[in-house]
Amino acid sequence: MVMEMQQVLRLIMQMAKQRQQLGLRTAGGLLVLLWTDTGASTQKINCTVAAAGPWCTGIQIEALQLVLADLKDSMFPCVWPHHEPDPEELSAFTDLYGSLRLLLSFQVKDTSHCSSEWQARIEAFLRTFTVANAGIQIHLKFKIKQQTSQREFRVKFKRKVALADLLLTLDVACSAPPLWCVKKGCWCERGHPAFGGRLPLSIPPQAMDQGLLGDLSVQLVTLLSPCVLPYPNVATELTRIQNTSNIPVTGPSGFFQTLPAALDCQEMGLDRIYCSTFKDLVYSGGTVYTVEKDSWDNPEQESSLPTVQQSLLLFFFLQHSDPFTSQLTDLMATEVLIEHHLEDILNKNRQAVTAALQAELRNTLKVQHHRKKQQEKLHAAAEVILSSSISIVSSSSSMDFRNACLNCMKVHDTRELGASLRESLWRVMSWKFIPRARCFSAKMEVHPENDDPTTAEI
Amino acid sequence: MELHVDEQFSEIEKLRAELLANVDVMADWQRAEEEISHQEILNRIEGIILGVVTSLSKDEAPVLALPNRSSWANVSFDSTIGLQMSSRQSVVTIRSDCPSSAAKFAQILKILSVIYRLVQSNSYATKRDIYYNNTQLFGSQKAVDSIVDDISCMLKVPRRSLHVLATSKGLISGDLCYMEEDGTRIDCHSSSAGKGVPDVNSRLMVKKLWDELHIPIFALVDADPHGIEIMCIYKYGSVAMSFEAHSLTVPSVMWLGLLPSDLQRLRVPEDALIPLTKRDESKLSSLLERPYLTSQPDWQKEMKLMQQSKVKAEIQSLTAIAPDFLTNIYLPNKLRYGGWV
Repeated sequence: MVMEMQQVLRLIMQMAKQRQQLGLRTAGGLLVLLWTDTGASTQKINCTVAAAGPWCTGIQIEALQLVLADLKDSMFPCVWPHHEPDPEELSAFTDLYGSLRLLLSFQVKDTSHCSSEWQARIEAFLRTFTVANAGIQIHLKFKIKQQTSQREFRVKFKRKVALADLLLTLDVACSAPPLWCVKKGCWCERGHPAFGGRLPLSIPPQAMDQGLLGDLSVQLVTLLSPCVLPYPNVATELTRIQNTSNIPVTGPSGFFQTLPAALDCQEMGLDRIYCSTFKDLVYSGGTVYTVEKDSWDNPEQESSLPTVQQSLLLFFFLQHSDPFTSQLTDLMATEVLIEHHLEDILNKNRQAVTAALQAELRNTLKVQHHRKKQQEKLHAAAEVILSSSISIVSSSSSMDFRNACLNCMKVHDTRELGASLRESLWRVMSWKFIPRARCFSAKMEVHPENDDPTTAEI
Repeated sequence: MELHVDEQFSEIEKLRAELLANVDVMADWQRAEEEISHQEILNRIEGIILGVVTSLSKDEAPVLALPNRSSWANVSFDSTIGLQMSSRQSVVTIRSDCPSSAAKFAQILKILSVIYRLVQSNSYATKRDIYYNNTQLFGSQKAVDSIVDDISCMLKVPRRSLHVLATSKGLISGDLCYMEEDGTRIDCHSSSAGKGVPDVNSRLMVKKLWDELHIPIFALVDADPHGIEIMCIYKYGSVAMSFEAHSLTVPSVMWLGLLPSDLQRLRVPEDALIPLTKRDESKLSSLLERPYLTSQPDWQKEMKLMQQSKVKAEIQSLTAIAPDFLTNIYLPNKLRYGGWV
């Protein structure tokens, strides 16, 4: 079931990719419905794939049918009766995205795939699709054995980026920093992708033997979240790295799991990077790493410095080109080969990929180190400012002056004044806010009666 | 034939009489300098600190506004004073929340706290003392020097009233004895001459000599743009210290030599002359545009002569004529026959 589903989706995605290459609009919706027929002696799983919106405008249905016919012959076991989905489901979809450009339905008789595992694999496959096609919103609905579940893959903020000859729409939504961090209530909701160099990859012999030829390359794109660019003085700490790819990972990746061991943590000023537990991430489409910093020289100072923890999203964009491959079926076959041999490809190019990743991490951490140095400068200056001010207030014989200072800060004596000034100075220094044109600014409103934050645009 | 002393200094006496006649028309406040009390200085410093506290009480980053002491746009020329700071002046903002300026903000507050203690206890310290008490904070003596002047300008208080002293680089020499405030008697007979761009103490000394003794002040400088600029600082003041012009400038300074016209008149040997560099020419052009030169046509004439001849000379070049030419011929004749402009 999963294989058939993937083939159909792969076909549609290839057609969408051709539209991307032409620079055409890539917004719209994709509906994937899976439901079981009851009452029959043998349970059947029906699948409907529907597409609407600009991203599939111009798809030649006749060409599609030819390819589908080829698929039908090659897939086993598969039956292609004309089972219509619930019209209400389709109507809700067309209400959102306009009239259907594509509607495919097929049925599978083998029920052994009817499990939560393949549901998760289909989800992971679709999630991978959204990595580079964030403009397309995906609605996935399961109605299996009387149980209904649905997922929407919807992106809040997207950005078009050009990689070589490919135009991608990336999900750049940023997580909001913790509420206690954002005193002024403004933060950047969109991340800012940073692009690494394009790295050519060697194709392993076993993949070549199976027909994977041409040029293969990978480009790294990184996204730090949350964005703290409007807060130039706050220190950051990278605590999590997650990698994702435009090629679905169908199982635990030995390459990605052992990647941390190949990285030079000392060079980056880190204690260690290790892979998070994979059991929850098997079909998440990515690997998550935890980052631990070197033991601090000055734990007391470190604990008092406000620090925002950040995650780094690493996009591995694999791109393939072969001037002798242009037919849709060949393109789909190539994708299958790349997916199948992804582990071999990465292992063959381990040194180069690791070096590229090290460089990207180094660049990310360079910014982090710079912020830390700036914060140390501010901290040193703050101590002198406070001690000088308190020295003058304490030694002044003017009651008016002393009282004016105490009243300003609403304290009773110079000891409290010192503490209050320190807290205030450190707050204004650390959370200095400079609005930036490329950062989308959202204001966080916290209602006293409700702790759930709501957001409103400024 | 030895000239009678009266004849030797007759021109100088005429000049002195002229200058004294003009002194009466000068504004009284120039000499009757307002003495700022210790308490007033403390009040002004407290005002700055209260500003810092008030900003922090509003969750705003404290900011200091320093008058811009390096901009010509902030000064104006008064013929009785020289260059003085304009009443409407641009300021330089020092923020406490910016890593590139936070250190300077801290340095300023540190020195303010030092000054506060000095004034309160009526004790004194040198700029050098301040620097060596916290070399890590200040980084260099120059930083301390600059900030002390900034504070003086910001508080509108003369530097000496801040109880911060400087080691002067100017020296005084000649037939002069004077008594300092604490009763110390200074005999200048055995000192040697000073040189270079004058520091505040040197300028104060010259100013004092004029104010107290009404001695005509003559400048003997190298016949080059740098020497002319040194002389202009004595006479008209500097942009950096324009806020204290009335206590530092000596508008009565006369240019005795070495004049560019002297080089031609005396036929100083060519090998003692030095071609002007591009920098010299640029400096000369800049000097000619200074506001105070419009009232000095003779100085302009000399400087234009230097521009045309494209040569400069040091005072020592006169030794090319004769080893003792400067002391035995040049200076006595200049003073005797009024050879100043």
